[in-house]
Amino acid sequence: MKKKNMGAPIIMIAILIYLLIPLAVSIIYSLFEKWTRIVPEGFTLGNYVTLFTDQAFLACLGRTVVMCIIPIVLTVFTVLLALFVTTVYFPNLEKYVQIICMIPYTIQGVILSVSILSLYVASPTFLSNRVVMLFGAYCIIILPYIYQGIRNGMRAVNMPMLLEAAEMLGASKLYAFFKVIVPNILSAVIVSSLLAVGIIFGDYVLVRNLAGTSFQNMQIYLYQTMKSDSTKSSAVFVVIMMVTFVITAVVLFLKSREGRQHIQKRVKE
Amino acid sequence: MSYIRFENIVKNFGTHEVLKNIDLEVEKGQLVTLLGPSGCGKSTLLRCLAGLESVTSGRVYLDGRDITDVNPKDRDIGMVFQQYSLFPNMTVEQNVAFGMKMKKMPKDTIAAKAREMLEIVGLGDKLKHYPSQLSGGQQQRAALARAIVTEPKVLLLDEPLSAIDALLRHSLQIEIRRIQKELDITAIFVTHDQDEAMVMSDVIHLMYKGKIDQSARPTELYTNPSTKFAATFIGHYNVLSAGEFARLTGEHIDSADIAFRPEIIKISDKPVDAGGCYGMKGRIQVSLPHGNILRYAVMCGDIQVDVDVLFSGVVPFETGTDVYMAVPRDACIYL
Repeated sequence: MKKKNMGAPIIMIAILIYLLIPLAVSIIYSLFEKWTRIVPEGFTLGNYVTLFTDQAFLACLGRTVVMCIIPIVLTVFTVLLALFVTTVYFPNLEKYVQIICMIPYTIQGVILSVSILSLYVASPTFLSNRVVMLFGAYCIIILPYIYQGIRNGMRAVNMPMLLEAAEMLGASKLYAFFKVIVPNILSAVIVSSLLAVGIIFGDYVLVRNLAGTSFQNMQIYLYQTMKSDSTKSSAVFVVIMMVTFVITAVVLFLKSREGRQHIQKRVKE
Repeated sequence: MSYIRFENIVKNFGTHEVLKNIDLEVEKGQLVTLLGPSGCGKSTLLRCLAGLESVTSGRVYLDGRDITDVNPKDRDIGMVFQQYSLFPNMTVEQNVAFGMKMKKMPKDTIAAKAREMLEIVGLGDKLKHYPSQLSGGQQQRAALARAIVTEPKVLLLDEPLSAIDALLRHSLQIEIRRIQKELDITAIFVTHDQDEAMVMSDVIHLMYKGKIDQSARPTELYTNPSTKFAATFIGHYNVLSAGEFARLTGEHIDSADIAFRPEIIKISDKPVDAGGCYGMKGRIQVSLPHGNILRYAVMCGDIQVDVDVLFSGVVPFETGTDVYMAVPRDACIYL
């Protein structure tokens, strides 16, 4: 009889516990008034009630979501167009696009923000606007992740052949790209976008340096809360986790064919 | 005037000349095959007609119109590719409807024609299936339906059956031919498989090193190859140089080479009556059954001659047997 190998499940469970402990502890910590002994004391939902009745927190949450969506949409669109042009018309340029897209990997947030400030702060155009700078900085920071994800997705489908097939059926190259190729690399686009959501949600340095603490995102709010109330800051952390989880779950659900069919069925009913 | 005409087509990839002054004509309603080994330029020629490759020089005409510089999407040509090229995000029905949508046909017509075409290719029950839910053969049939549903002026088939197993390939060969005749489509088929070309074609254009080596009907190409390459590529001819032939038979010929098919050779372990034949002697090195044919490799010194006999389940000559062969003179082709 074949001996069951328990090594892999044990390692998996150990990693899972290691990853879940901070989250579990934060959830527990946010639900009690104090935790000075082994068992926490004074169960309360007060932290969450306070947070969700705090207009500043809700505005901050909404602002962070918007700050995620705009740079991601801009970057995805730009990368898709760049890869379309290089794949279809200038395949020799792809390596240069790759180098350009990978450069931000090596740039630290502080250096990036200082560079952007020194370049654009005196500009007489809209580029000197701190929020515009911030969006630009986010576009740069998430570029390698979005690029790599989309490029891998494109390699997984036989893009030149699908484009040729669509062209032979009367479609233009651009139409074929958005109608045939993009739907087939949607998983790659979504996965890399979710990664970018995580990066922007976790940003403190760029928003602090470029927009200042008065333009709060979730990390700045968390940082300021930590100084005054540790249990409340745990609640903020839990909310951040939950929001990113919900965004991930909703996007993945919408992406899945079953999900779409389910929605269509519901709409018909 | 021919329906499709290639005029002095030259195609270079860098410094490599892939097509060398190709002149070719195809009549309307024919299924024409471009046959040749890998790298001979047959797919490139097809892609030049499709517009997926530009020609370095020369002109391409379709139905009297010069389409050399026309966009692929405006050429009114359908194509089935070697690899499965159905759009994975669309159902079979949506795939077939794609070309009609591009032509802005009415929705009702699109739905009806898509269904009708899928019925013709035997996929009437697979409308809502995605390509990943189909077998390779089904995918290529759906691709065929997608390519012909818009009633293009010409259908191009670029080795569409090469990724499909032998049994299914044979049935699809017959099916494609049936549909082509039924719908009276002009089609150009690219293959490196001579049997496939024989089964499917009205005319075969044999290509070699970027040129048309010989153009003929299948039976004519088989029985009367005009070049050494045609003889070796089609029909598994024995091709011997004049010198080799003289060493084997003691007879001299005027041509550079002589070719004869394996199945016309009479073989016996006793001296055979050589009246009207060239006589040879050799030793059987190996015998291999090819379906209903038994192929002997007979070594005549250092020259190998292949001999085919009908295989009835019995191997008359064992390996190592000395045999006598007679090749009818009138069945030999002098190249």
